[in-house]
Amino acid sequence: MFKGLSLIFMLLLSLTARAENWPAEQWSPGPTVTGPALQALENYAFPPRDDTTHQGIRTDALLVIRDGQLIYERYAGPTTAQTPHLTWSISKSLMATVLGVAYGEGRFKLQDKVAKFYPPLQKHPDLTLADLLHWASGLDWQEDYEYAPLNSSVVAMLYTRGHRDMATFTADHGSYAAPGQAFRYSSGDTNLLSAALKAIVGAQRYADYPWTALFEPLGIRQAIWETDAAGTFVASSYAYLTARDLARIGLLMARDGRWGDQQLLPKDWVAFNREPFAGYRANQDDAVPGGHWWLNRAAAGVARPWPDAPADTLAALGHWGQALYVIPGENLVIVRYGDDRDGLYQHNELLKLALKAFAGTVKP
Amino acid sequence: MSGLMRRRPISSLLLILLLALLGWVWQERVALWAFPDIISAYTAKEYCSCRYVMNNDAGYCRGYVKQWLPLSGFTDDAVSKRITVSGMGRSNMAVWIGEHQGCRLNP
Repeated sequence: MFKGLSLIFMLLLSLTARAENWPAEQWSPGPTVTGPALQALENYAFPPRDDTTHQGIRTDALLVIRDGQLIYERYAGPTTAQTPHLTWSISKSLMATVLGVAYGEGRFKLQDKVAKFYPPLQKHPDLTLADLLHWASGLDWQEDYEYAPLNSSVVAMLYTRGHRDMATFTADHGSYAAPGQAFRYSSGDTNLLSAALKAIVGAQRYADYPWTALFEPLGIRQAIWETDAAGTFVASSYAYLTARDLARIGLLMARDGRWGDQQLLPKDWVAFNREPFAGYRANQDDAVPGGHWWLNRAAAGVARPWPDAPADTLAALGHWGQALYVIPGENLVIVRYGDDRDGLYQHNELLKLALKAFAGTVKP
Repeated sequence: MSGLMRRRPISSLLLILLLALLGWVWQERVALWAFPDIISAYTAKEYCSCRYVMNNDAGYCRGYVKQWLPLSGFTDDAVSKRITVSGMGRSNMAVWIGEHQGCRLNP
């Protein structure tokens, strides 16, 4: 009797172990979803496309992982499953994830001063790595570019005065606030992190570090990360991954930094990613900043930014509609690449329709 | 000065505006000097990555980087994967570097 019970217990254990799917060289396919909810999602994400006027919602790729299996993917325009698509500012969260591996190696602490790793920041001696990860450097940075191209720090950094050495260009900015006090979204902050990583892991390892630390352990075979002339990764903007590979990063985050039986990111690192920044004020941005990831949390007295998605949703977001959504409670990872040139695309709408089509319908 | 203002109010106002404009130009001289580079540098870099990193076809990539400002020159050397673009009196070049590093503005 006792023996029988323990046998059943062992069987149950092995069942749960087997129920956890991980991608190998490819994602394994999950149960196919069809029906009117999926139709509604496709109508929203894939309206007739015009590559001349570039108007409207222009989804390049939409891919859904549930319980570690690929249950939906569709591509449009020139993008295919093999296209390493520009992620724009999703790169920022990727850099945070690369840093998380270095953090797991014990190479730095969140409260370390950045100047320790990047001497040009001795002009701002109190600035910490945590401040940069919160986009709270206090540097007087102008992220806006559509409306103020003359004074846009981003345009100058990527294309004119700053492109040879983006971190130095950022470090030369003055301050408008003390570090760690106020949120101001800044591509410069991310590139300072990228420059700091050079000393954190050593110049020797740096050039391959995103691949050896993160991409290869996850089975990502086709990643591009452009650098400036100083060899610093343009962590603000220029990482390229296929939709299938970006979803691997999503699954890593959905499972608290664990990949298979390896805890690639320490749990306290992921907890930091998921913790809203206390200095954030209502409506400063489209979502709530955590540790270089975006959160769907009520904060600063305002309801959560995407009311139709669960509060545990986190996201990496980029220019022109790039998005990686992670919904751990639903075991969902959604990659959406786009080329939206207007503001029509809405995260909440996509999430609402995707949850209707894919959430909680079948459990393995 | 106040006598001048009373006798020639229009000219005085224009003079003040001119001085303010010159002051602004001086203050913004670095940004203003860099400004004309934006269109050619943006086009060269983003076309290079569209074409040789994302591997999209040339026609799509020309549409992808199209802005409302006209270009005066565009060459895509498919052998060296080198893109040179001119516009607003400036010229910029981007080049594909490698499998991991993609494209970069040069110099």
